[in-house]
Amino acid sequence: MTPRVGDELPELVKHPTTRQLVQYAGASGDLYEMHYDQEFARALELPGVILHGLLKTAFLGELATKWSRDWGRLTVLDATYRGMDLPRAPLRCRARVSAVRGRNVDLEVWTEDARGGRTTIGTATIESRT
Amino acid sequence: VTATAEGLRAFIGWTADEREDAVEAGHLRRFAEAIGDPDARWLDEAPPTFTASFLTEPPPLPPGWDRGSSWLNAGDRFELLAPIRAGDVIRSRTVLSDIYEKSGRSGELLFLVYETEFRDARGRLAVRHRGTRLRR
Repeated sequence: MTPRVGDELPELVKHPTTRQLVQYAGASGDLYEMHYDQEFARALELPGVILHGLLKTAFLGELATKWSRDWGRLTVLDATYRGMDLPRAPLRCRARVSAVRGRNVDLEVWTEDARGGRTTIGTATIESRT
Repeated sequence: VTATAEGLRAFIGWTADEREDAVEAGHLRRFAEAIGDPDARWLDEAPPTFTASFLTEPPPLPPGWDRGSSWLNAGDRFELLAPIRAGDVIRSRTVLSDIYEKSGRSGELLFLVYETEFRDARGRLAVRHRGTRLRR
């Protein structure tokens, strides 16, 4: 495996549902109502319940660990949330190699909504085992 | 920095109570199912963001804090230093490490930065997390 700057990872497309948000709330212990109670979310002037930022970061973690499974270890995953994502909309999780520094491969990672807007941007680093 | 943010900066350095959490195999499985990651390795090993389930969310506020009533998540950073596996016992402590304001479309936005170190039973640092949360 020889990653090169500019290489794009095979994208991961997620189809989160409100059910998954409830599942994530339970598994993570983040019971903030914004992610499963429509009335609560609307009272905060949101269009409805929104995805947990940390669920989007988990998707980006899946993208990076799947790609590097056979040759490396994810050491940094850093995400900034720039837009809200609603359930029942496909979310594209994408990444591109931004630098290769010895055994470290840096990625630019992002999530993209149906309109092509980058709702999460971030970076990841994978340390090669060899 | 606005006068309000300047006053709130006195809370920087406040530390939440230490937590101790056991990594249970059933919890790892439920977490992997919840994020929808089918990789079988997560049945034994914690996936990258698993320690988020050992964070108190929404985050704790120091006694005397009275600003805002709701939260938005602005960002998360994980430094993964050593693997966490089923059977590990993880101790963590969260520090409110920064407070600042920025101008946004809807006025001043107040950010709180929380830093947490997750250590295994031998005291080895396994994960360092930084969460940036928006208080409204």
